[in-house]
Amino acid sequence: MIRSKLATNELALFGGPVTFSPPKSIGSLANPDPTKFLEYSRIFYDRHRYTNNGPVNRMLEDRLAEWHQAERCVTFANAFWGLSLAIRDLAIPGRSEVITPSLTYRRMGEIIASAGMVPRFCDVDSESLAQTEATTRPWINRDTALILGAHPTVNCCDADGLERLSAETGVPLLFDSVESAFETTKGRRVGTFGRAEGFSIHATKLINGFEGGYLVTNDHELADRLKLIRGFGIPEEDQIVCFGMNAKLNEIHAALAMASMDDLDELVERNRQRYLAYRELLDGIDGITLRLFDEEEQTSFKNILVRLGEGWPLSRDDTLAILQAEGALARPYYSPALHTHKAGFETRSGYLPVADRISKQFMLLPCGDQMGLSDISVLAELLRFVAAHAVEIGEALNAVNDLEIHTGYDAVAARRQTPLEESHEE
Amino acid sequence: MKNDLGQFALLGGTPEFAAELHVGQLYFPEWKQYEAAMRGIIDRKYYTNHGPLIRELEARLEDFFQIGNVITVTNATIGLYLVCLALELEGKVLMPAFTFVATAQAHVLAGLDPVFCEVDPRSHQMTPATAEQALEARVSAVCPVNLWGGSTDIPALDDWARSHNLPLFFDSAHGFGVERLEGKLGRFGRAEVFSFHATKIMTATEGGCICTDDDELAERIRNMRSNYGIRRPMPVSLTVNARMSEAQAAIALMSLEGIDGRIANNRVIFDAYRSALDTVPGVRLVQPSNVTGSNYQCIVIEITEDRFGLSRDLLWSVLRAEGVRARRYFKPGVHRSIPFDTLYPQYVEALPITDALCDTVLQLPIGALVTTEDAERIGSLICDAHAYADGLLACG
Repeated sequence: MIRSKLATNELALFGGPVTFSPPKSIGSLANPDPTKFLEYSRIFYDRHRYTNNGPVNRMLEDRLAEWHQAERCVTFANAFWGLSLAIRDLAIPGRSEVITPSLTYRRMGEIIASAGMVPRFCDVDSESLAQTEATTRPWINRDTALILGAHPTVNCCDADGLERLSAETGVPLLFDSVESAFETTKGRRVGTFGRAEGFSIHATKLINGFEGGYLVTNDHELADRLKLIRGFGIPEEDQIVCFGMNAKLNEIHAALAMASMDDLDELVERNRQRYLAYRELLDGIDGITLRLFDEEEQTSFKNILVRLGEGWPLSRDDTLAILQAEGALARPYYSPALHTHKAGFETRSGYLPVADRISKQFMLLPCGDQMGLSDISVLAELLRFVAAHAVEIGEALNAVNDLEIHTGYDAVAARRQTPLEESHEE
Repeated sequence: MKNDLGQFALLGGTPEFAAELHVGQLYFPEWKQYEAAMRGIIDRKYYTNHGPLIRELEARLEDFFQIGNVITVTNATIGLYLVCLALELEGKVLMPAFTFVATAQAHVLAGLDPVFCEVDPRSHQMTPATAEQALEARVSAVCPVNLWGGSTDIPALDDWARSHNLPLFFDSAHGFGVERLEGKLGRFGRAEVFSFHATKIMTATEGGCICTDDDELAERIRNMRSNYGIRRPMPVSLTVNARMSEAQAAIALMSLEGIDGRIANNRVIFDAYRSALDTVPGVRLVQPSNVTGSNYQCIVIEITEDRFGLSRDLLWSVLRAEGVRARRYFKPGVHRSIPFDTLYPQYVEALPITDALCDTVLQLPIGALVTTEDAERIGSLICDAHAYADGLLACG
């Protein structure tokens, strides 16, 4: 049993024992049933068909299309290339800008740049933390080739507002729906908004397929084109009918995703229990506000997002340093905002005050099956301890900072027992 | 053995093979090994993002290639794309048109224009002479392809590229395990890119790797592949997701373990084809060129129609009917493929040797699902097709 911290010097950042070992990440890390995974593996194994639109990929595509209530699904080696290829296909020819929110996946600018386009970052709404019709509209101009709408990590963005804007302006709309795979918004299943929606089956996502991604759409021609593009533009032997590359999903990854889907309803119920535990245990900690899921809608209860408000006595960065040293690999929420991040490619943006502010206020806490309910109690107690000993902790942090400035010693890195890789959302 | 024209499946006879034989290596671990490896990953709960198996694989590959840096990637196409970006190339890149279309696609994806050159008609490899003939303004690099389990004449190409002050990097998608006098493919040029596709001798189902002795270039590529496995962060123009997963690494590790056995198996099948085809007029089995040891992953024959009696395409039809899914790689040639034919129309009628090869080359099955007996039977079918060429031609 993990003992509570009794004094500031018992915090791992200051040399005390680490609370969570192995560390707990903000990725879901669903662990599919190995027996089911192996059963799905048998399907491709017995046919000696390891990739190239194999039998398990086709099963997965059919299942995902049905799950999203969409006509078609196309799988990809990962979501990055799925979205990149869809941008290439959907962007209005001759135009260069793709509008996307400044608070979103940290590689979104790269996805757009890899498609040969220029990201134009827009602001988010302070209530939903997401892009809306109103935050997107000011940035539409004669060079706008595409709107790349992105759902936030809790609840959904203004998807039908963006659809209206797209219809009004004639600018095509594509969604990054990676964080909303399970959701409905206004009763409508995420998956059929805009021209297409992109999803990830990276291990940290709701559906674990090692690495992988997929697009769903009601547009058969678009789906057919994307299937060709992901496989070198080759429809069948001795034919090349369009530009393409290799962005195919292999059969092993498809098999794990299938097994993961078998467990999805149970996983969401476990997520709901975790969310309820967080809600109960964080309640009453001054300055910490949990983002609530809209329970009127279908939701995965996956991501645990909190705002550090005025009542919270430490900076977010100091709070993160303390938690990470304890093995609770909390992460800042979409920080830095993409419009403030120096990129190796051209980006465009204007004054985005809400994104600036929000990018400094929120953090994601560990979630998914790695977090037992007792882990959540321990984490909540740790936060209460930090709040109660803030003055002492502040002094100790100053001492550590002085040491770092003078010696280059990295207290957080020094406390890590294992690589952080799995903690990062990709 | 066909004793009568009517016995050919193309003309209504019983196919030689009830189960079709495919081109492509398709070696894969035994089920028990597969199961153990996959259970291990789920037990560790470490699925991707530069996990323990990828780290082990990259270390083992560095040892295998005897090179400072091996960077695993999603697939060889994305690997070539990353090399283009990391070398900060601009303008045009010189490459053979007689290659798989992905060689050119990767460059276009990286914003570069291919300049297509011819290959040597015997070896099918790009040479300094074919490079020189095609060299034009704004060419910023050269990407030869080491084809068919052979290689280009690398020292000669290297000298030629140096004399023009052009960086050289290789598409070695076919070249895993191939030995030259100087050592294994993997150590040449600024970088080499290998494929771990299921059809290759080294498999991760999908996957590939970049080899380079240039530490600075390697670190830039690691930064561009994703944030994991980086030894030294540095600013790069673009970071994409080009990772291989732990599952792919597990397959690749098992594949690497058995590489010698598979090369030996391929060699026996290759020799069986060679014996069976040795005396058939108009059929030339392409020998791996410029190497001391091939991986023998490709059986490539060239059909001279007036000596063999049938065109490559008619032989292809004969074999397909018999259950031999031979492949007409590369058809169409890259320079005649969409969209390169319209983007770069100047090459469409400019490459007669490549066009001739695209019309006469046939690839035959070799790999996990092919036995030496199969190879002998396929050889015998080709022999019979020659013997009954006139009849087949009359009916075909």
